Amino acid sequence: MSNPMRGVEHDVIQRPGASKAPFYLPQKDEVAIFRAAWSKRLPVMLKGPTGCGKTRFLEYMASQLHQPLVTVSCHEDLTSSDLVGRFLLQGDETVWQDGPLTRAAKEGAICYLDEVVEARTDTTVVIHPLTDHRRQLPLDKKSQMVDAHPDFMLVISYNPGYQTVLKDLKPSTKQRFIGINFDYPDEDLERRIVAGESGCQRPELVEKLVAAGRRARGLKDHGLEEATSTRALCYAAELMNAGLAPVSAARAAMVYPLTDDPALVEALEEIIEAHFGNAA
Amino acid sequence: MANGENEALVEIEEVLQHLEAISFVAQRDAREALPALDGEDAQTRLLWLQAARDLFFHDREAGKAFMRATPELYARWPDVRRWTAQALVFTRWVNSWRALEGFLEQAGEVYAQHGGAAEQAWYDIGMRWCERSVEDARAYFGTDYAKLSDGEGIAGIEALMAPAEMLAKEARLTLETYLPGALIARSVVGTPGLGPWARRGVDLMQTGRSRGEAYFRLENAEGVRHLLDELPGYRPRRHSRFLQLLLLAWFDEEIPLADSDWRPGRGRPAMECDGRTIFMPAVLDDRDEAVVAALHTAGHLRYDTYASREIEALFVVSDTEHPSLDEDQRITWRPLFAPYAERMFRFQVLFDLCEDLRVDARLCADVPGYATRLRRLLARAETPEGEPGIFFSFAREQYERLLRGDALDSRLQGLLAGEARLLDAFQAGQALFADEGFPDIAIEARSEAYLPGHGLNTGHAVYPRRTYAEIHDAPHADAYAEHRQTKEKQQGETPPQTPEQRQNDPDSDINVPPENTSGSGGRVGVGIPMPTKDVHTRGASREAGEGVLPYPEWDYREQRYLHEWAKVIERPVTDGKPKRAANILEDHAGALKRLRAALELQRPSRMAPLRRQPEGDELDIEATIGYVVDKRAGLSPEGRIYRRRAVQQRDTAVLLLADMSTSIMARHPSGEGKVIDRIRSGLILFSEALSSLGDAYAICGFASKYHDNVNYYVLKDFAEAGGAEINARIAGVSGRLASRMGAAIRHSIKRFDEVDARHRLLLLLSDGRPADYDDGGDPRYLNEDTRMAMKEAADAGVHPFCITLDPRGGQYLPTIFGPGHYTVLDRVDELPARLPEIYLRLRR
Repeated sequence: MSNPMRGVEHDVIQRPGASKAPFYLPQKDEVAIFRAAWSKRLPVMLKGPTGCGKTRFLEYMASQLHQPLVTVSCHEDLTSSDLVGRFLLQGDETVWQDGPLTRAAKEGAICYLDEVVEARTDTTVVIHPLTDHRRQLPLDKKSQMVDAHPDFMLVISYNPGYQTVLKDLKPSTKQRFIGINFDYPDEDLERRIVAGESGCQRPELVEKLVAAGRRARGLKDHGLEEATSTRALCYAAELMNAGLAPVSAARAAMVYPLTDDPALVEALEEIIEAHFGNAA
Repeated sequence: MANGENEALVEIEEVLQHLEAISFVAQRDAREALPALDGEDAQTRLLWLQAARDLFFHDREAGKAFMRATPELYARWPDVRRWTAQALVFTRWVNSWRALEGFLEQAGEVYAQHGGAAEQAWYDIGMRWCERSVEDARAYFGTDYAKLSDGEGIAGIEALMAPAEMLAKEARLTLETYLPGALIARSVVGTPGLGPWARRGVDLMQTGRSRGEAYFRLENAEGVRHLLDELPGYRPRRHSRFLQLLLLAWFDEEIPLADSDWRPGRGRPAMECDGRTIFMPAVLDDRDEAVVAALHTAGHLRYDTYASREIEALFVVSDTEHPSLDEDQRITWRPLFAPYAERMFRFQVLFDLCEDLRVDARLCADVPGYATRLRRLLARAETPEGEPGIFFSFAREQYERLLRGDALDSRLQGLLAGEARLLDAFQAGQALFADEGFPDIAIEARSEAYLPGHGLNTGHAVYPRRTYAEIHDAPHADAYAEHRQTKEKQQGETPPQTPEQRQNDPDSDINVPPENTSGSGGRVGVGIPMPTKDVHTRGASREAGEGVLPYPEWDYREQRYLHEWAKVIERPVTDGKPKRAANILEDHAGALKRLRAALELQRPSRMAPLRRQPEGDELDIEATIGYVVDKRAGLSPEGRIYRRRAVQQRDTAVLLLADMSTSIMARHPSGEGKVIDRIRSGLILFSEALSSLGDAYAICGFASKYHDNVNYYVLKDFAEAGGAEINARIAGVSGRLASRMGAAIRHSIKRFDEVDARHRLLLLLSDGRPADYDDGGDPRYLNEDTRMAMKEAADAGVHPFCITLDPRGGQYLPTIFGPGHYTVLDRVDELPARLPEIYLRLRR
């Protein structure tokens, strides 16, 4: 919290300092896969449910590899010029300003397109030439072509779920990537993650939290669109750290954000009550 | 005076001799009864004797009953003249002895307990009923005064009888029919609720006499349901989704919940289980009890109380060789209890207690919070009186020790071990049985002997289960086989099609033998299992003519497509039910209103400004700047610089494909209506929502019988406009035959050719896995074919999504549709509201 750089503008492309590596515990072989992909500069696709650690993993890898990371959160109205760049008026003349993707390609950063399915398909097509052997980014408006920096790497994330039935990535886009599959970590690992992330000093609370989270995940496909994520568990642990009663903290982080369905709320509350209430 | 006394004595003798001349029995009974009245003067005795004679002459049985009842009656109520006069009135009606018997039996007690005035009033009410019919009066006098008054004296009786008089006048309902049900009803709804309860019955009477009478006798669901609605307490059914989610969370198993046949007057309510389904009573005391009961009952499933291997062990030990199976292939417990003969219930309660302890010990360890809840329940529980109390107290004591962590009774200690089995509980039960400290217990009192949240474990015949270890260690293939078995059994539970449905069946031209459509339609429509080879020998019996469209089918065993194997026949739907459609719209007016409101909310975003348009009302600033900049930079940009507010074409086309196999004709779990009713409502609401949304949509249904007869019904084509006619068609659908999904899906893909839309969504509404009469009992065959059809859909740019009503859908849908491409609707009641909602979410 005492970081003097907080709240100060800085350039999006910044090489991470060696000192502050983000907290990440590997689930499986994802670190090895990513390193291999990196060594060949192959584009990577991170798949997995919300809050299972995709973004954190990438931050961790960027820091491990000492690479700057540029993140673009994709949305419906994202146009290709938002990614590539556009001309701006400055005084009497027009000035070209690179978009985040172009800058990353020029300066050799990892460009991360988060939730790429949300972007329109015509937008995602501009990344095609960057993802194969050409490693080029066409700047149509300038009639120019950028050959990507040797250290440039493209990473997208993708959450295969309920909402994406109509919005799936085109197969031609998908198959250009190396896929890394994420899921919620197993129990023991999740405990270590929650404890490490929140700094919670009470192992018994963490243990209950993780147990309750796993129970709640069982209700997925029964009205819960998103299962209780590891992130939600970390939030709950942090609320508890901040002095909130365990039941309230768990409810606030793990129940109410997830569903409005009264029966589901009741069931989730019951699970929490059983772990943290007077009952336990 | 003495003279009169003597004359009376002489007359008594004369009457007796007269009686003797007519009937020896009458004379004998009179002589036997007379000494009881020795304390009375001769005139009174004469009066009594004359009354006895008159009654006897009126009706031999009446006279005999009067004389035989005298000693008892006199002992309680010495005013002979008064009750004699009352009894004599019965001579006004033929065959009145049946009512008189009841009167004589109770009059003394009523007088002694409640006094003369109360007796007179009670008697007067009875007389009014005698005027109507002796049978009614018999029912009245034959019912215990205490029951009639319910502690409120004559006022209580009058309140109870007032609706009866109304019913007698308006509906000619006999008291015999009314009273037993009314007594139970009053215990539930209270005296003020009786009037409305009876009124409702009168209304039902008008629709059919037998239906009305069954209502009053509490013999049909209507009668019981009305009462159950009034019962105080926690209603598990209203919270069944919550309970189901809870069981899913703790036990990772989807356990079906159903209503039990418990009703008021049948002891303490509790949950029961048949090894597959948990049966919930209409009410339980409170939420705590319901949660404990649900977890406990599911605990029996989890810890193998109903595993066939464990139950077999009991049969081996009891020297009964094989578990006896009933016609549904369920194991019956009875032979295990038979050796205990009339002490059977005593053993049953003790055995259940031991097994409950074993299961609860494990639950306390495995389910957090269970122990605390149990403790709370025990602290609140009141020990019942009498014999059940002895069992109850013993159980409570053991449970308290269990929860404190103290040692149990030495006979029960072994049950706490992790490896304790059902057999150990059985043997512990036998050890307790040998303890004569436990009294015999009657079946009526049995339910009182259980702790709250607990009840009979062995009340139902059991569908044999595999043990937890067997299920979880078994290779995948076996799990599959078991799943199939349960599926096949479920088919038997589907109620057969009624003849009326068959008459309305537009497919009668197929000429299906009735036993095929009825018995075997089944939950998913699987037919009588046939040898698999049948699929191949059965050729296309129908010439591929007009309207018959052949499609290939995937055979996983040969890993190839069977060329033109499935024949789809499009059938027009003409006979609509406009009235029913109007009723459905009316019933769901509220839901429709909410839906329309939700659509309105969607609208502003849909009227979202379209950016970078070649023409429009205002400038798109960003585009304009881009344009100016490009121009300055020497480019020749396109003039797309306007913003326009317009209905944004989402460009989505959806085809809703409904499975219309026999299984949807099943009764709704609540007993009210059928599943098809909800499906009809769902489709109509979907149509209403979609037509106001403006998306291209079609609604189709399918039902199949054999591979060469897949019926495809187009309820609404893409080109048609929604509205009353479409709704009427939907209202007319019914379920029949089986579900060959693959062929129907392939045909649906083809139908998308008509529309030009970027997003094409195929919504499949189903209630079970695909099946057909000729799948040879191999569910995998059509599963695999459906999976292939799904792949073909994806290749054709159609996005499939499945909505299933089958709570077990999670077991097979991921392999067919892929994770994230299906959703399970736990409660069919939600379908009408959820169906449009799911679509809106998908198209977002």
